Amino acid sequence: MQTFVTEPVDWPDTAPALREQVRALVAEHGERDPVRRANSWTKAAPQFSRKLGEAGLLGMTWPTEYGGHERSQLERYVVIEELLAAGAPVGAHWIADRQSGPLLLRLGNEELKRRWVPAIARGEAYACIGLSEPGSGSDLASVRTTARRDGDEWIIEGQKVWTTGAHVSHFMIALVRSEAGSERQAGLSQFVIPMDAPGVSVKPIIDLTGAHEFNEVFFEDVRLPASALLGTEGEGWKQATAELSLERSGPERYLSSMVLFLELVRHAQGKDDPVLAQLVGRLAAEAWTLRLMSASVAAKLARGEDPALEATMVKDLGNSYEQAIPQLVQAAVDFGDAEAEVLRAVCFYLLQVSPSFSLRGGTREIIKGIIARGLGLR
Amino acid sequence: MSDTRRMLAEMADPLFAELGPDAPSERALPQLEELGLPLLLVPEAKGGFGGDWLDALIVFRLAGYHALGVDLPAIAVGKVAGAGEEQHQSLMAFARAAQIAGALDAALGLAVGYVNEREQFGRPLGKFQAVQQSLATFACEAAAANCAAMGAAQALNRGAAQFEIATAKLRANRAVEIGTTVAHQVHGAIGFTQEYALHHLTRRLWQWRSEYGNDAHWSRRLGSAVTARGADRFWPDLTARTDPACR
Ligand SMILES: Cc1cc2nc3c(=O)[nH]c(=O)nc-3n(C[C@H](O)[C@H](O)[C@H](O)COP(=O)(O)OP(=O)(O)OC[C@H]3O[C@@H](n4cnc5c(N)ncnc54)[C@H](O)[C@@H]3O)c2cc1C
Repeated sequence: MQTFVTEPVDWPDTAPALREQVRALVAEHGERDPVRRANSWTKAAPQFSRKLGEAGLLGMTWPTEYGGHERSQLERYVVIEELLAAGAPVGAHWIADRQSGPLLLRLGNEELKRRWVPAIARGEAYACIGLSEPGSGSDLASVRTTARRDGDEWIIEGQKVWTTGAHVSHFMIALVRSEAGSERQAGLSQFVIPMDAPGVSVKPIIDLTGAHEFNEVFFEDVRLPASALLGTEGEGWKQATAELSLERSGPERYLSSMVLFLELVRHAQGKDDPVLAQLVGRLAAEAWTLRLMSASVAAKLARGEDPALEATMVKDLGNSYEQAIPQLVQAAVDFGDAEAEVLRAVCFYLLQVSPSFSLRGGTREIIKGIIARGLGLR
Repeated sequence: MSDTRRMLAEMADPLFAELGPDAPSERALPQLEELGLPLLLVPEAKGGFGGDWLDALIVFRLAGYHALGVDLPAIAVGKVAGAGEEQHQSLMAFARAAQIAGALDAALGLAVGYVNEREQFGRPLGKFQAVQQSLATFACEAAAANCAAMGAAQALNRGAAQFEIATAKLRANRAVEIGTTVAHQVHGAIGFTQEYALHHLTRRLWQWRSEYGNDAHWSRRLGSAVTARGADRFWPDLTARTDPACR
């Protein structure tokens, strides 16, 4: 049995130059506060996103016809891992660049593509994911928000919840029930809903740290043109689950706590403390391994294979890793030490937000269920 | 996988399966020699097989997978590094990591096969979610050990590989903990018998975990090296290990 076939990844020749470019850009325009650099793909900074757009670092793999740069998947991978490792505030465009853009290019009609894709590549249009509802969390196939046909228009009614970035987004790709009376995976479709469409309202949900990152979104008699349907009517489930592969495979699934790890290294330097050295060694080994795994998934995506199973494995291991770092640092470091102030601040922030790491993008239990299916147990 | 590597795997796999944990070395060695495996790492110019470290990964991993009784990796490494040298310890740490990766995959395979057959409460054990979730955790660990071993083999082919070897052994050692625990748990009492094959794998896994550097050894070494370089070098060092122009 070999569940994760590793092939050596051929990193692009352009990687060193790209890294330099990103590092310079982050040094100049990125975030300095170490706390804000942790879990940085949730921190929206539209100005920074536009800078990335200007530099040609968004929509990197997309056709130039739609504002993309026709670079390789692995070149894009190099850029996103650099951004995350540095804790750059990429939250505004993250979802649009990672999954909504590719989805629009693959399934969107010409009108949708022209309207959104070039703007995403410029770092000007941001997207949110409309999957969860109050009654549909892990059991996503129970969604109840509806789309009803009325002449040339679709009318959307219902509610989404936990929608990250809805308050800064320009559009949502929503999974809704488009066939009245249909059940479970059948009769679902995806729609592109402009957030400024009449009848769409966004209500903040404040998280336990006091931050506003996610929201409730309500749809009341939202009228959309026929062209708002994404892909094929009734195929929404298949489309949305394919999208999850993109959502789960990236380096954001293990790098959320990288800034804390780096602060730990800074703290340990010159101390010759075997406990700290061992912790640094253990975490470094894990980071390196996860990087290999995550890149190997990216290489498979680049070859046009579907690494859905591998992607879930990387997510599961990665989430456990980024979640464990704050706990382990807390256990090993004396925060009474005045020198440890920055470390303490980053650690406490991450302790509070880390429960979300194994929820967002699919919970640990659901992910493990998918792996179990891959093992032939279901 | 390249053609020579596929060939190597196709040669070694059935032979290791046949020799297994118990074949005495008087019987096993001549057969291994016939395939040139003890000289795997010796250059062709010196009459060896001329294999590189990715070839070694395949052979060592299969030795672990089949719980090969003869310590072929030690023999092969012994031909290119003298016992007691620092390089010998590193290369053997790599070898053990590769064997652990293979043995974990084999134990996972046994476990999955078993829970799909064994019925309790009127259905196969594998249908119970608790069992599924433990095995999923195990699978992730086995995957990580395999990837880390692959990373070390690639690095050895490039040249300096201290970081990657330390990582591979450390990661493999950690995976042993979950792998052996889950494998025995889901097998119930049958896995605790001499008659059933699981112990050929798990007893070796426990032993390999201690050999050529335990967790404390490698984590301290790796951690000291990373700390000495400093926080600002960590990520650039990491990427420089794989980026083409920096190699
Ligand atoms: C920070 C954050 C950002 C998010 N952003 C978005 C977003 O942008 N868009 C969006 O649509 N959603 C988003 N989500 C929602 C996320 O996808 C859901 O939280 C997740 O799918 C789980 O749903 P739930 O919270 O309703 O938990 P529930 O489904 O109620 O589950 C509660 C617990 O029970 C477990 N459980 C449920 N069913 C089973 C089962 N069959 N077997 C075993 N255990 C089970 C779950 O694993 C979980 O641990 C976000 C969540 C977070 C925390």
